[in-house]
Amino acid sequence: MAGSAPEGSQFDARQYDAKMNELLGTDGQDFFTSYDEVCESFDAMGLQENLLRGIYAYGFEKPSAIQQRGIVPFCKGLDVIQQAQSGTGKTATFCSGVLQQLDYSLVECQALVLAPTRELAQQIEKVMRALGDYLGVKVHVCVGGTIVREDQRILSSGVHVVVGTPGRVFDMLCRQSLRPDNIRMFVLDEADEMLSRGFKDQIYDIFQLLPPKIQVGVFSATMPPEALEITRKFMNKPVRILVKRDELTLEGIKQFFVNVDKEDWKLETLCDLYETLAITQSVIFVNTRRKVDWLTDKMRSRDHTVSATHGDMDQNTRDIIMREFRSGSSRVLITTDLLARGIDVQQVSLVINYDLPTQPENYLHRIGRSGRFGRKGVAINFVTGDDERMLFDIQKFYNVQIEELPANVADLI
Amino acid sequence: MRPILMKGHERPLTFLKYNRDGDLLFSCAKDHNPTVWFADNGERLGTYRGHNGAVWTCDVSRDSVRLITGSADQTAKLWDVQSGLQLYTFNFDSPARSVDFSVGDRLAVITTDPFMELSSAIHVKRIADDPTEQSGESLLLIKGPLGRINRAIWGPLNSTIISAGEDAVIRIWDSETGKLLKESDKESGHKKTVTSLAKSADGSHFLTGSLDKSARLWDTRSLTLIKTYVTERPVNAVTMSPLLDHVVIGGGQDASAVTTTDHRAGKFEAKFFDKILQEEIGGVKGHFGPINALAFNPDGKSFSSGGEDGYVRLHHFDPDYFNIKI
Repeated sequence: MAGSAPEGSQFDARQYDAKMNELLGTDGQDFFTSYDEVCESFDAMGLQENLLRGIYAYGFEKPSAIQQRGIVPFCKGLDVIQQAQSGTGKTATFCSGVLQQLDYSLVECQALVLAPTRELAQQIEKVMRALGDYLGVKVHVCVGGTIVREDQRILSSGVHVVVGTPGRVFDMLCRQSLRPDNIRMFVLDEADEMLSRGFKDQIYDIFQLLPPKIQVGVFSATMPPEALEITRKFMNKPVRILVKRDELTLEGIKQFFVNVDKEDWKLETLCDLYETLAITQSVIFVNTRRKVDWLTDKMRSRDHTVSATHGDMDQNTRDIIMREFRSGSSRVLITTDLLARGIDVQQVSLVINYDLPTQPENYLHRIGRSGRFGRKGVAINFVTGDDERMLFDIQKFYNVQIEELPANVADLI
Repeated sequence: MRPILMKGHERPLTFLKYNRDGDLLFSCAKDHNPTVWFADNGERLGTYRGHNGAVWTCDVSRDSVRLITGSADQTAKLWDVQSGLQLYTFNFDSPARSVDFSVGDRLAVITTDPFMELSSAIHVKRIADDPTEQSGESLLLIKGPLGRINRAIWGPLNSTIISAGEDAVIRIWDSETGKLLKESDKESGHKKTVTSLAKSADGSHFLTGSLDKSARLWDTRSLTLIKTYVTERPVNAVTMSPLLDHVVIGGGQDASAVTTTDHRAGKFEAKFFDKILQEEIGGVKGHFGPINALAFNPDGKSFSSGGEDGYVRLHHFDPDYFNIKI
């Protein structure tokens, strides 16, 4: 794949770097706070005793790199922008930061955590509750697809933290079921997605309803300059932890492509790989909801057992499918980018990009489903003639090697 | 050999233990629920629900009636193996790390981690025949040396306790007085955290694994270093064959570095060494995360590995394994 990427390409590295330098350069210095402390153990972070108990009970023994740098500034009430590779401990970082600062005698919402999907919000709530178990934290998940009256009842009985998706949270704020008076912490997980076109207005609307003096934390594995620029509007001299774009990819995930030549031949290729897929947990990403349904039907008609989920399905079904996949009852999951971000399933070792992602950042997020903390993974990209350019762009932009898939793929998993 | 892949844990494995008869395999993980499997075909028999934190270790009584588990939720629990009922909870002020029943199952040694100002400790508890008469009182409490005590086991005739942990030193204590009897020699011993320990079938020697990328074989009474097995990866788990002079070592790079370093850097195979010659015989691969636990079936015909990837892999040896010549 020779040649250089044209100007204006979605993966234009020069433009990305130029914008990033502008934001972080001499002009940007005034916007950020310097913070260089590194804590090599949880004990050294000055956390309260019962939070430490929760951290150790969860099974943590040593902080990961992002946790070493990221927990303490958040605990001190500073605004933070924290970027780290997929699966390296960002959720535990902001959960610890929130839990450290709550007033447990005040059973009012003091922290609001927003995530782009219901599944991710539920996952964050689980970690928050586990780490906060000895503190007696009350966490509520406030997401669409559930009974509004139930949300209202729980919120009125009092909780310390609300983890939600923007739509339902905004609705609860407008109905005055969720009162913002005591909210002192606002966290955006998958922040670049939350600040993108699809969510930005909702985030802005919610932010308008929050108290003027509030601590903001934004977290994501990808933080393009456009998202970083928007943070200037609502953050106060944040501490930043950023990763260069060419260091973002996970070297522990072997990345391959299969040249299928034509769109119609992808299905045959997938069926050829099916026996390999079923050895362990696999996720297959396609770009549209209709295509999820189509591919699911095709696979099942060939007697392949698969499960599927996307945003149009009703919430109860989504929950069941997610639970079955996490526990290993089902092993092959077909989905859209609904599950590209944040979802942490222990045994996913293979991701297949049946379609290459339309958003560049989602390439990293998708393959990050297979390389989680402590586990290698494999990602396979199906490439048609039309996709070759994009594959080249991904390799160059993220400084990653994507090789042709060898015949013995089963040995790699 | 084609492994049986056992799926049941949603988070990383921490420990594996066969019962004495070798028909049951107990696994512990960070997902709170120890699990018991049929050791022959890998079918799941049941889970033990009650812990509220990662479970670090377990031990099972000689008659396979009682299970003891040590957990990061600051408790160790006694269970009825068959029904899964909780019989007793020992409460501590910090995470419980290692548990071991004594010969005769009347005592248990439990280690607890350092926590804030609390130092690590070794506790000896009496185990009552009748669970309704179980007491949490300690017969002995040894305040620990620096760092976590990752493993503590009973020595010969229950007269000593052998401990090893984060400060890389192996110690032998008198189990009645708590007096320190012996320490491993710093020059010839491990240089970094000792992560794992396995006793030989006859108890005369034991094997330790360390983050210093080696496993070492020690005489149980004199704490003399007998053999050293050098690998190229941190060692998280060790075990020994009860039939052949084989040692198995498992590990891999630190979990926090796995996803951000080249995929060739993991080194997640279980390595077999000749116990006497200290030479590598071969390896068994399959995990895609570090190996955290290894155990040999007491019949010597199979072994199991547990990984950071959440899987337990059960390997039955081919006949060829028993005819290996070096």
